[in-house]
Amino acid sequence: MEMEHSDVGNVRKIVFVGRLDTAGVDRVETRFGAAVVASGKSTVVDLSQVTFLASMGIRMLITTARSLSSRKQGKMAMYGANAAVMEIIDTTALHEIVPYARSEDEAIAIVSA
Amino acid sequence: MSAAQSSASNFEGIRLAETAGGRLYLFLNNSLAALEGGHRRIRQHFGPEKLAPRVINRLEVVFEEVVANIIRHGLIWKPDQLILVIASALPDAIELVFEDEGVEFNPLDVPSPKPFETLEETKVGGLGVHLVRQLSTAVAYERIFPGDSLRWVGQHKFCPSNRLIVSIARS
Repeated sequence: MEMEHSDVGNVRKIVFVGRLDTAGVDRVETRFGAAVVASGKSTVVDLSQVTFLASMGIRMLITTARSLSSRKQGKMAMYGANAAVMEIIDTTALHEIVPYARSEDEAIAIVSA
Repeated sequence: MSAAQSSASNFEGIRLAETAGGRLYLFLNNSLAALEGGHRRIRQHFGPEKLAPRVINRLEVVFEEVVANIIRHGLIWKPDQLILVIASALPDAIELVFEDEGVEFNPLDVPSPKPFETLEETKVGGLGVHLVRQLSTAVAYERIFPGDSLRWVGQHKFCPSNRLIVSIARS
């Protein structure tokens, strides 16, 4: 699992590459929190290169989105999931608390509103 | 397992891997490293089945959630405790049987997580068991009495106390 971050205007963009399973989360969780919460910027998460998502990945996304939100700093939205990852998002209803967008532009619009 | 093909696996976290009667028997160490090695070994075993990507994903999620749960919450007494995973391809389903030496735990007793309301009030516990239930067609738990399923794994006397049987539809 790899993670990259960049900025699109005032919005932070996170790209995950690989598996968001127990091992993958262990590798990126600290960096993810630092890149998102410490920056205080609204964030979009590109899931297009995530090949596997399990409950540890869901937990990481929720806790980081909550930390960002609780400081009144920003919002988080996701986009780009493949069918397998989308099934896990749907099954856990993650999209009900961390919005899922059809594109990067839509995700940026959601967190910028 | 007289007709078994047995090997001390090259995959980290796997104590022993055997195939017999078309079934894969994986003895996993009490270590999260067993997850990565186990995923690879299970994918390898089911490769010839040409399973749909959706089925493979469900299979891997179930494996991940059950094994991680056993390691985190069940195997708390001894570092050398083992988990046995028996993987079988049935005509209509893929079956995973998990046996472990941990404390008694029936995941079917875990209540379903409450629906999310707000991000701030969300509690994230129980999602793994929820995924196992939702992605499978059948889940059954059995308490195993001491000695009923005894196997020797090298010098280790594997004496499981829990058995979880999960079926995942092939289509």
